[in-house]
Amino acid sequence: MAVGVTNQKVSTKRQKAIKTINKFLVHKVLPPLCGLVIFLMLWQLLCSIPGFQLPGPLETFVETWDPFIIKPFFDNGDSDKGLGWQILTSLGRVGLGFSLATIVGVFLGILIGANRFLYNAVDPIFQVLRTIPPLAWLPISLAAFQQANPSAIFVIFITSIWPILINTTVGVQNIPQDYVNVARVLRLRQGKYFLKIVFPATVPYIFTGLRIGIGLSWLAIVAAEMLVGGVGIGSFIWDAYNTTTDTNLSEIIVALIYVGIVGLMLDRTVAFIADKIVQKEQK
Amino acid sequence: MNTFVEIDHVDKIFNLPYGGKYIALKNIELKVNQGEFISLIGHSGCGKSTLLNIIAGLDQATIGGVTLEGREVREPGPDRMVIFQNYSLLPWLTVEGNIALAVDEVHQDLSLGERQKIIAEHIDLVGLRRAAKKLPGQLSGGMKQRVAIARALATRPKLLLLDEPFGALDALTRGNLQEQLMKICNEHKITCVMVTHDVDEALLLSDRIVMLTNGPEAHIGQILEVSIPRPRQRLEVVEHPSYYNLRNQMIYFLNQQKLAKQRQKQTISPVLISTNQLEKVHLQIGYLPITQAAPLIIAQEKGFFAECGLQVNLIPEKNWQDIAQSVASGKLDAAQMVAGMPLAMTLGAMGKTPTPMVTAMTLSRNGSAITLSQELWANGVRNAADLEKTVNTDLDKTYTLGVVHPASMQNLLLRYWLAASGIEPDQDVRLIVIPPDEMVDFIQERKVDGYCVSEPWNTCAVEQDLGFIMLPTSDIWQGHVDKILGVTEDWSQQYPQTHLALVKSLLAACEYCDDIRNESEIISLISQPQYIGDHHVNLRSELLESYQSNYHRHSQTSHQFYLHQANYPNRHEMLWILTQLARWGFIAFPKNWVEIIDRVCRPDIFGVAAREVGILDIGREESIQLFDGKTFNPSQPLEYLTGLAIKSQVRVEEALV
Repeated sequence: MAVGVTNQKVSTKRQKAIKTINKFLVHKVLPPLCGLVIFLMLWQLLCSIPGFQLPGPLETFVETWDPFIIKPFFDNGDSDKGLGWQILTSLGRVGLGFSLATIVGVFLGILIGANRFLYNAVDPIFQVLRTIPPLAWLPISLAAFQQANPSAIFVIFITSIWPILINTTVGVQNIPQDYVNVARVLRLRQGKYFLKIVFPATVPYIFTGLRIGIGLSWLAIVAAEMLVGGVGIGSFIWDAYNTTTDTNLSEIIVALIYVGIVGLMLDRTVAFIADKIVQKEQK
Repeated sequence: MNTFVEIDHVDKIFNLPYGGKYIALKNIELKVNQGEFISLIGHSGCGKSTLLNIIAGLDQATIGGVTLEGREVREPGPDRMVIFQNYSLLPWLTVEGNIALAVDEVHQDLSLGERQKIIAEHIDLVGLRRAAKKLPGQLSGGMKQRVAIARALATRPKLLLLDEPFGALDALTRGNLQEQLMKICNEHKITCVMVTHDVDEALLLSDRIVMLTNGPEAHIGQILEVSIPRPRQRLEVVEHPSYYNLRNQMIYFLNQQKLAKQRQKQTISPVLISTNQLEKVHLQIGYLPITQAAPLIIAQEKGFFAECGLQVNLIPEKNWQDIAQSVASGKLDAAQMVAGMPLAMTLGAMGKTPTPMVTAMTLSRNGSAITLSQELWANGVRNAADLEKTVNTDLDKTYTLGVVHPASMQNLLLRYWLAASGIEPDQDVRLIVIPPDEMVDFIQERKVDGYCVSEPWNTCAVEQDLGFIMLPTSDIWQGHVDKILGVTEDWSQQYPQTHLALVKSLLAACEYCDDIRNESEIISLISQPQYIGDHHVNLRSELLESYQSNYHRHSQTSHQFYLHQANYPNRHEMLWILTQLARWGFIAFPKNWVEIIDRVCRPDIFGVAAREVGILDIGREESIQLFDGKTFNPSQPLEYLTGLAIKSQVRVEEALV
């Protein structure tokens, strides 16, 4: 009897699980799949127009199957490497530039946000600097660093620092009065106040800045690498464009898809971390 | 008990954009004893949270200040912990972390072990041991507030400030927390000030309930003492005999304030209109030819009216009844009045049609005396006891005493003095109303055996050897309000700027009158035949001498026109007058006295005028004590009234004005 009941329970549980999975498939998987199929079909149709220069999806797939899709980590020396290497190299640059921007941006942001005079002094400058397109920084950084790699990293840094800095500043300025009152009543010392109140209270704003920043740096890296050359997804695209093999356009298309997917993943990763760290009440 | 926290004449003024000002709190005065639990109650927007923040030091009073154990509160500090309505826990710290943040900061001198002990102790105190590692986001509202209470208590504050601590909680949780709070406060003898709008909560927890009137210019309307013994139980408290009486008083007060708010909305608040145009320039102002008319005469003669853009006709009237009539009918714009007249007219004393009146300024203080006939002097009457003996021995003769008006301080103070001496004013003697300038004739013709009147008619009687001055009214109540500026409420609303200009010009005149260097000039000005005439008019010192020459003990009798914040229209004094008017049956004591006083007595108008001429607008709302040592508690006028031995039948009714 008891066994029967348990079995029944298990089976209802299983049924429930199946139901949820089905629901997920119907609502979250099926529609995007349909969209993708329709998109690919339209693309294929477009390419069947005589005289159309771009390869269709099938053509692209076939042309890049070997080595670009199945061997992402081949290495023929120099810049002739698999897409995996190219992307990892780009990610390395972004990681370095973006980390620097995060550290400097958050630190400066808290400082500026906490000091009204400083804020008034530097805000106009920042407002001008942040509107400068990433690539416009490249000549200056090339002139300053004389090398491709540091220049690219600097472009990433200078592109992503503004949203981080400005959001942090705003966050500090908008600390809920309640928290400030708690600190005032307890007469928290300056250092503790920043560490225990200001920084945690600003975290949601910092993450907003980080999300915008990571998106911008991924945008900037592709363009920067096209100009500085070497290994990296940007230079790969540019090289593919400059060589006149039959498959170069297909290579570019595959690279673009990779760039898109990695960009999306970067954005989602930051969002995920933010979700884990930021308290519900702060959202 | 010793005063622990003192809130001393606190004003809070907010600057509005476009240069306006909003006066949120006005002249808040409160003393809190150690271990006492005080509740602040009032309608939303009355500034009770602002007051709490001022005590906490989170906000600054514009005028006045707060002291804790004699030291001024300038900034927030852990000795005054605040429990906020929205808990104000830091969401990124656990329950333990939140408490630790406070404990670590406040008890820096203790070792880590001791600090951890305090933290654990207080987590247990509010019963949150199992939730110690949780984040605030994982807790219910009630649990969060318990954490906030634990955090506040863990710092061992001297004073606990609670801003609607249970406002956002459901009834059951609220009840539990109230009991916990009460227990903790009792055990640790914590002094608390709590803002709430829950009547029952206030009654359950408090020793005293401070009820604030509506803003703008919110002030303490009434203070209720909750004498239910401690420790209290939720369910037993409601059965205490005084519970429903107190509760009704609170509800009544809050309802009255609600009505007042609605009325405020209907009439455009006149003071806030900032056109500086005078609505009316030509004014007819009534006065009686007495020494205390000096401010009006000086304002006319020295051009203080003209300086404020007013063209004034000073109209001498025969007696106070005529003044009341002329102001009510609109023949006079404003008038010098005896202090009780605005209240008596507003309430329709003695069966007259009620005319809502407003007084925004006190014109003079002291300056009257009780004069008795030479015959009584010959009979050996030297003091109150002698008079009582004479009156009660000679049963054939009914002694007659003259007063100027039923609502005058002369009448009320004479009656108070008689009653305090054991003479019933309505039975043992006969009191008749006589115009001031006929008093001397009456005593000469032996129609009266004495009177209480303003100067110069006391000195006159002395000079003509008709009587002697028994005592100046300042010996009954030093610095009592005597003459005030009265206008109808309609007039005040119709001509707000003119009213302000009038108060300002009279303030200047009053200041001039109280400058000793101007004394001879003032006396010669007011002694002119068109004013008082040459009746031995004196402002101070000579008067004193004439009293002394009549074997009277030394006393301070000077008129007060300006010094010692004499011009402030004092609500407590008006309330005292109200009790006395009711005491002798001239009016029924209004149940809604807070509302009546607020309507008639207008320190807000006075305040605007005073600030515009650059003087401090806070006044003397000190406790009132008369010569017999009885203190008047303005929060319990009815208790005061019933506590007086000699009185007529006192009625209490709601006044519909």
